[in-house]
Amino acid sequence: MPEGTDFLYPFIEGGERDAGPLLLDLARSAVGKHGVSVALRTATLSAAGSTMDATAGAMGAAFAAGGRLFSFGNGGSATDAASLAALFSRPPSGRALPARSLADDPAVLTALANDVGFDLVFSRQLIAHASAGDIAVGLSTSGSSRNVLTAFAEARRRGMVTVGLAGYDGGEMVTSADVQHCLVVGSDSVHRIQEVQAAVAFALWEAVQQRLEHDDG
Amino acid sequence: MADAGAAEAGATFGAGPEDDLARAALALARRFAAGATLWCVAPGWPEHARHVAVEFVHPVIMGTRALPAVSVVDPDPVPALRSTVRSGDLLLAVSTADDRAVQSAMRRAGAWGVTTVWVGAGPRPQPGAADHVLWADGPAAVAAHDGSVVRIYHLLWELTHVCFEHPGLVSPEGAQAACEPDSGCVTCSDEGRLAEVLASGADTAEVRTAEGPATVDTMAVGAVRPGDLLLVHGGAAIAVLEEAGDGA
Repeated sequence: MPEGTDFLYPFIEGGERDAGPLLLDLARSAVGKHGVSVALRTATLSAAGSTMDATAGAMGAAFAAGGRLFSFGNGGSATDAASLAALFSRPPSGRALPARSLADDPAVLTALANDVGFDLVFSRQLIAHASAGDIAVGLSTSGSSRNVLTAFAEARRRGMVTVGLAGYDGGEMVTSADVQHCLVVGSDSVHRIQEVQAAVAFALWEAVQQRLEHDDG
Repeated sequence: MADAGAAEAGATFGAGPEDDLARAALALARRFAAGATLWCVAPGWPEHARHVAVEFVHPVIMGTRALPAVSVVDPDPVPALRSTVRSGDLLLAVSTADDRAVQSAMRRAGAWGVTTVWVGAGPRPQPGAADHVLWADGPAAVAAHDGSVVRIYHLLWELTHVCFEHPGLVSPEGAQAACEPDSGCVTCSDEGRLAEVLASGADTAEVRTAEGPATVDTMAVGAVRPGDLLLVHGGAAIAVLEEAGDGA
């Protein structure tokens, strides 16, 4: 039996039995977080307007000249990098463009991580695959993932176009000379950052498609 | 989240997308508390299956517990799932409603004893296709890439962890005591049970059900093949279920 005043707060002892209030709280929380995410997307896209234009211009020119896109990131950002590559290479409409993620192949990732270290898992792949005129798109919610920054340095050495998607205050990405185009989602929630980075990636893809269509016409 | 009004006003718990999310989160938390593994599939968008799995296995928020989640990225995940999922596990799919492999996995989940969550966009699955259907607005080709689908499973992860702050509602004993009024109990009612054929003999078949393996009489339905889904009542198969979506 509960002692002291615990009987006033049965849930403290795990005695909570009515799920109704919790479900209402969860639903309210979902509505609130959804609203934050949508507002952050609107604010980010409107603030990034001119950066987006410049980024899409550089990417469109690179694709038009035969460039290929390589995307990379860690964890959820690795899957977002894969989603971005899939959008460019297997688009719902428009022109299919050469794009792939460097985080997709466990044989390559584990070989590099085991033999040369995790900081080099993306940069070593760029050495093998990329050349001047290709595009490097790195995602990092902190903006400071070491292997992403190392890959940007290698990408610039090779004359690639570099595009960084960061969160928080942009981290090291925003001041790095190796990141030519940096798009920052100003939030301190990894979840909200990733959701809006996806929206930024989608807007970039649309803008690149428009440019290529314009060039074709 | 268009009709958020009901929840905002604290009115009756309803059928809005945020209410569906809340129910799904509580179901996940309860299953995890009872030892479930979350199996994630997304045949058309494997990156989403991986994202969901990494979200649960390696939480970004300090202090939240790591939960067992696995992505199965085979184009047809059914064979891998069939051999590995256990009764009481969770299956989460991210796909459009017309994904054949996901439809097949969802249909079998009842025989495997697995609770299902279907996340997607575009036209919705038929009612009852999964235990929890969480659907994004807008065309699937956009929602899959613009963060809308990601937001749904992010919210699901966040809400699931809120549930763990309420052990009385999540622990196996608590979950049983806190049965919601609208959740009917199939086990003890007089309904048929779903079974998947493992092997067939003359007039009988070895089947898998949510409660474990069984031998059932197949006289009433005729010849069956491994993989067929049967409706079983009182130890006898009373129907072979056709492919979902029918006409298929």
